[in-house]
Amino acid sequence: MNGPLIVQSDKTLLLEVDHEQAADCRRAIAPFAELERAPEHIHTYRVTPLGLWNARAAGHDAEQVVDALVEYSRYPVPHALLVDIAETMDRYGRLTLSKHPAHGLVLTTTDRPVLEEVLKSKRIAPLVGARTDADTVAVHPSERGQIKQTLLKLGWPAEDLAGYVDGEAHPIELAEDGWTLRPYQKQAVENFWHGGSGVVVLPCGAGKTLVGAGAMAQAKSTTLILVTNTVSARQWKHELVKRTSLTEDEIGEYSGTRKEIRPVTIATYQVLTTRRKGVYPHLELFDSRDWGLIVYDEVHLLPAPVFKFTADLQARRRLGLTATLVREDGRESDVFSLIGPKRFDAPWKEIEAQGYIAPADCVEVRVNLTDAERLAYATAEAEEKYRFCATTDTKRKVTEAIVRRFAGQQILVIGQYIDQLDELGEHLGAPVIKGETSNAQREKLFESFRQGEISVLVVSKVANFSIDLPEATVAIQVSGTFGSRQEEAQRLGRVLRPKADGHQAHFYSVVARDTLDQDFAAHRQRFLAEQGYAYRIMDADEVLG
Amino acid sequence: MSTEEKSAAPRSLAEALRVRDDVSLAALLRSRPDLITPVPTDLTQLATRAGTRASVVRALERLDRFALQTAEALAVAPDPASYGELLALMGGDEQDPAVAAALPRAAALLREQALVWGADDRLRLVRTARELLAPSPQHPSPTGLGPTVREATAGMSPGRIQEILAAVRLPSTHDSVSAVSALAALFADRRRMAALLAGLPEESREVLDRLVWGPPYGQVTHDPAAHLRALLDRGLLLPTAPGTVVLPREVALHLRAGRAHRAPEPVPPPVEAAATHRPQVVDATAAGQALAALATVEELLKEWDEGGPSVLRAGGLSVRDLKRTAVALDVPEPVAAFWVELAYGAGLIASDGEAEERYAATPAYDEWRELPPAERWARLAGTWLTATRTPGVVGGRDAKERTLSALGPNLDRSAAPEVRHRVLALLAGLPEGASPVEESVLARLRWERPLRGPQQREAGSGDGRGDDLRSRIARWTLSEAELLGVTGRGALAAPGRALIGAPEAPRPAAEGEMEEPEGPGDKLPVHHHRALTATAPPTVAERAAATTTAARLLAPLFPEPLDHVLLQADLTAVAPGPLERGLADVLGMLADVESKGGATVYRFTPGSVRRALDAGRSAADLHAFLARHSRTPVPQPLTYLIDDVARRHGRLRVGAASAYVRCDDDATLDEILADKRAAALGLRRLAPTVLAAQADPAALLDGLRAIGFAPAAESAAGDVLIARADSHRTPPRAAPEPVPDGPPAPDDTLLAAAIRAVRAGDLASTAPRKPGPGSGASDGGGGEAGAPGGALPRTSAAETLATMQAAVLTGEALWIGYVNAEGAASQRVIAPIRVEGGFVTAYDHTADEVRTYPLHRVTGVAELADDAG
Repeated sequence: MNGPLIVQSDKTLLLEVDHEQAADCRRAIAPFAELERAPEHIHTYRVTPLGLWNARAAGHDAEQVVDALVEYSRYPVPHALLVDIAETMDRYGRLTLSKHPAHGLVLTTTDRPVLEEVLKSKRIAPLVGARTDADTVAVHPSERGQIKQTLLKLGWPAEDLAGYVDGEAHPIELAEDGWTLRPYQKQAVENFWHGGSGVVVLPCGAGKTLVGAGAMAQAKSTTLILVTNTVSARQWKHELVKRTSLTEDEIGEYSGTRKEIRPVTIATYQVLTTRRKGVYPHLELFDSRDWGLIVYDEVHLLPAPVFKFTADLQARRRLGLTATLVREDGRESDVFSLIGPKRFDAPWKEIEAQGYIAPADCVEVRVNLTDAERLAYATAEAEEKYRFCATTDTKRKVTEAIVRRFAGQQILVIGQYIDQLDELGEHLGAPVIKGETSNAQREKLFESFRQGEISVLVVSKVANFSIDLPEATVAIQVSGTFGSRQEEAQRLGRVLRPKADGHQAHFYSVVARDTLDQDFAAHRQRFLAEQGYAYRIMDADEVLG
Repeated sequence: MSTEEKSAAPRSLAEALRVRDDVSLAALLRSRPDLITPVPTDLTQLATRAGTRASVVRALERLDRFALQTAEALAVAPDPASYGELLALMGGDEQDPAVAAALPRAAALLREQALVWGADDRLRLVRTARELLAPSPQHPSPTGLGPTVREATAGMSPGRIQEILAAVRLPSTHDSVSAVSALAALFADRRRMAALLAGLPEESREVLDRLVWGPPYGQVTHDPAAHLRALLDRGLLLPTAPGTVVLPREVALHLRAGRAHRAPEPVPPPVEAAATHRPQVVDATAAGQALAALATVEELLKEWDEGGPSVLRAGGLSVRDLKRTAVALDVPEPVAAFWVELAYGAGLIASDGEAEERYAATPAYDEWRELPPAERWARLAGTWLTATRTPGVVGGRDAKERTLSALGPNLDRSAAPEVRHRVLALLAGLPEGASPVEESVLARLRWERPLRGPQQREAGSGDGRGDDLRSRIARWTLSEAELLGVTGRGALAAPGRALIGAPEAPRPAAEGEMEEPEGPGDKLPVHHHRALTATAPPTVAERAAATTTAARLLAPLFPEPLDHVLLQADLTAVAPGPLERGLADVLGMLADVESKGGATVYRFTPGSVRRALDAGRSAADLHAFLARHSRTPVPQPLTYLIDDVARRHGRLRVGAASAYVRCDDDATLDEILADKRAAALGLRRLAPTVLAAQADPAALLDGLRAIGFAPAAESAAGDVLIARADSHRTPPRAAPEPVPDGPPAPDDTLLAAAIRAVRAGDLASTAPRKPGPGSGASDGGGGEAGAPGGALPRTSAAETLATMQAAVLTGEALWIGYVNAEGAASQRVIAPIRVEGGFVTAYDHTADEVRTYPLHRVTGVAELADDAG
């Protein structure tokens, strides 16, 4: 009884990372427990019904789960918890979705009362057809996702044995000339392919695009890739042409400006969710070809209409990619039930330790408001308060001081408020990229930044995601979207691409002391703090002095 | 007492009791304590009391299934019946060996309980028991047997009886009595009966088969079909009322091959093991759960520390408050009810008795909190084991359809302590580390204490098995034992074993074997069935010893409290085990608990740090505290957090003042402050033009006027009162006493005294039958008893006084003769407490209370010490 694991009564698992058995234990609990927090000494995992069912789906049984807990636990595991785990896992697989030669998609049960119970539910009734026998009921093929999601909510998850359509075949190979997939990328592709569908979580800069490419090379079929914006679409295309056997002509871009449908098509969420007269005209894209694989980039941003449509795509393989599966709207579980369970997750610090992302020094710089600003802040309207404190004049001075300190390195200044950014751009003599900047202009500026022609770039939240700027080593955040945890992580991600010279990355967050800004900052930092990024706090005077 | 009397067959229960020895009488009184409350005057009275309906029902309800079946069989047997007849009824014609082996024990038990008396050849069930158990149309017997031929033919015309005799080819006789006897003899004769039945049509035999296991009554029309007529003609069915017929007992017994019960259950069903875990795992799990139990109770009390929920007018906790508590403890409501009741039962919470009654911790809680963890647990577990309050019924409804609320009235179930003890004892009987199959435990309990009457059949047949109270209590016991850590993974842990006083190492032998009784007879070995019914609960001293042992066994199983935590940069602290109390208290103040269990996760927030600062800690204190208790360097964000909060803490100051003085002229205020006479007013300068005073406005006005100023009062606004939240405690409160059903089990001393008293009384009342005076000389007391018409002890006044005074010193009981104011003489057994002023104050065992007697009315006194028995 001196294991590395402590099982808490609220079903969290605390793993002592410095323990000699920690690695074994991590492997044993990974199939069923979600990594929740990974700070320096004790990592927190959580056992959820979804996690347990995913473990069942992956072929683990309750006994293995209980054994893993009992084996590594330092203290006796509460009996009630073990019973609960066994009971929860036992609920999986009582219902099965499968293809019946005569009736098409059917829901069958091994436990008739369960079927009776779920059929009584008002939410299930519209999704099923005729009862073919006591244990079987027909399901409308188009409701496959919907019924799975609903059954999950009812606590009787269905095992989906109906399989996938192969889609239209298209030859795709990885062109591994002078590079190879990293071990964790290989593992991610393998886990995904083995599981059929699901989500891969990798830190920013860890090469999620290559996991997508690897999956495509496995599927060898036509692929639809959904991304956040046009710049990101171009980057995907560029990367695919470089890393796979695909040529420019085989890859289409489906965006606001171009509407190409090719064997591999990259579409933006924005165009898919454009609404005209109450309908989404571009959702037809999903049906325009017999796609064998659908890739969702930055799946944490998946907009609601796409959720709805994804529910109808259950017969196609789906791959979700993200760095931060935290949604401030709490719809993580919808991602899991519609795209698929989490197939691969790596703590950021682990990838950093392997040298695939740059180590980062995170600093929170606290600035004081001037007396005049404090008064203005105190009397501001509630909705204006954050803007007031986030754009304090002192932040400009601090930002300039940091830029001076890192002169010669590639620096990104990131902010929320355009006025603030314009002013900063002016003082720093740096170009500003914001919403109104045209795509062409953006790409030009990014390119000259990559080439080192510009060393300082001021960007608004348009650059939060998927902008590949490998040479950036310093990011200075002056304001953000309130307390968004994933934005903070994504912004840090801009500087995490491994540097050619093994340089350390620097992430500065400039925060106004004793204001909402500080509260939001604390919330924003939570995700990264839980990933083991320890913020250092500095006073503005130290920076200025 | 002469030997002749002993050898003669007793003619009544009283006589049977009289020849029993003290040990066997003690066994009777121990198992039926209602018989000595109050102590009967003599054995005749004891026998009468043992025959009252209430007492017999009580005794029958406490029999195990086989003993009850035996009693039921005796009720349908001839009175008196021989042991052989009883054995035939129980074992049937084929002589079930298991029954034959178990029957002596059952018969001895019935005899010990004074339900059956008489020698083996003349076993008699006491009349009340017979009435209760014998079949009648209103109360069908559990045996399913009907009345005897004699009973069924009681009102039949002699002519009809003749016809039956003729039909079964018996010689006719005009004497109805001998005719009925002949018929009964025929039915009881297996060989002739078989021949008779063989001559019947198939359908007739099917009718008999339908009635054979009861109920024995059937309906017939006015003009029965031929196959029914064949039965009626032969007396195999006898009419009881128009349209109703009954299968006579003798016929049914023939068809049953002599068995009174379809399924006699001579052997208690064994408790089956569901799974076996390593004892270490069981103990560790139980210890973990025990720790969790302590944490939960403390959390509950902490939750209620500043005043708990209010008390409902009818008493108890409202459903809403229970829900809220359940949420706070993060447990389901029934479990929350369990914890609340446990704390209440242990005297840790009570109603505070104020106008707005609320629940709060008692002073006993503060004492309990200071105990070592193992002793804290032992207190809780000991309380739980003996409590009659059953949290399991919370949420149900009582007979008047009122919801039963936690901490409310009507939660006492007198069977609870005994069932709990018994369930744990059954677990103790399993091999170490084995968890039981719940259903087998319930089955065993049902065997040991079956339900009588119609419920028995319902519980025994339908799917609703185990919905009776005892089964429910047993089920609750199993789950509560797990919650408390008495069991771990379903198996009894070592501390739990010690708690019920079971031997530390369990017998490896299988469960359920019984010692062979030494044969029936009035002289019974007393202990032979103790192991089976185990009705004797441990005494207070034994229980105290058991809990102490349990605590001693548990203590080493608890993990050592830690003196350090792990601080992390995400502003959490993890205590990887239980913390020392001081550390836990400070940390609980400085940070919010985020997750509990083996470890505790704390999160530091500005709010939590402020709380610590409010409690008087300085930032430097907190830094030092964290540095001292952290194994790793204190993360910088945490240091910053504390400094940040501390920097802003106390920038605004709030204080209490009763009055203020305002003056636009600073100099006047200077003057007031300088004046010595103003010192009593407690003035303090807050600003150049404002003074705050501790004195109230009226006193301030008077004071200032006395100094010579002419102040004017301002309106009352501005008076600040701040109430500090305080721990709320009830006045001292006793824990609720268990409410047992019936009188408490007597201990050996009381039993011995009672028996002595009864014997003495009995001796006194039976003495007149003995020829000649002085026959009782050897009895030590009544030496001079010789007065005709009474056996009052006679001693001289001086001797009486001396004996009384000696008895006060020794505390012995005395037998006295006493004549009351009306001149009626009686004998009493008293234990003198004090003798003064011509009166003796004594505990009267006969009346079961303390009384005072004038010494001059005491005819004489005798010691009880050597009674002849």
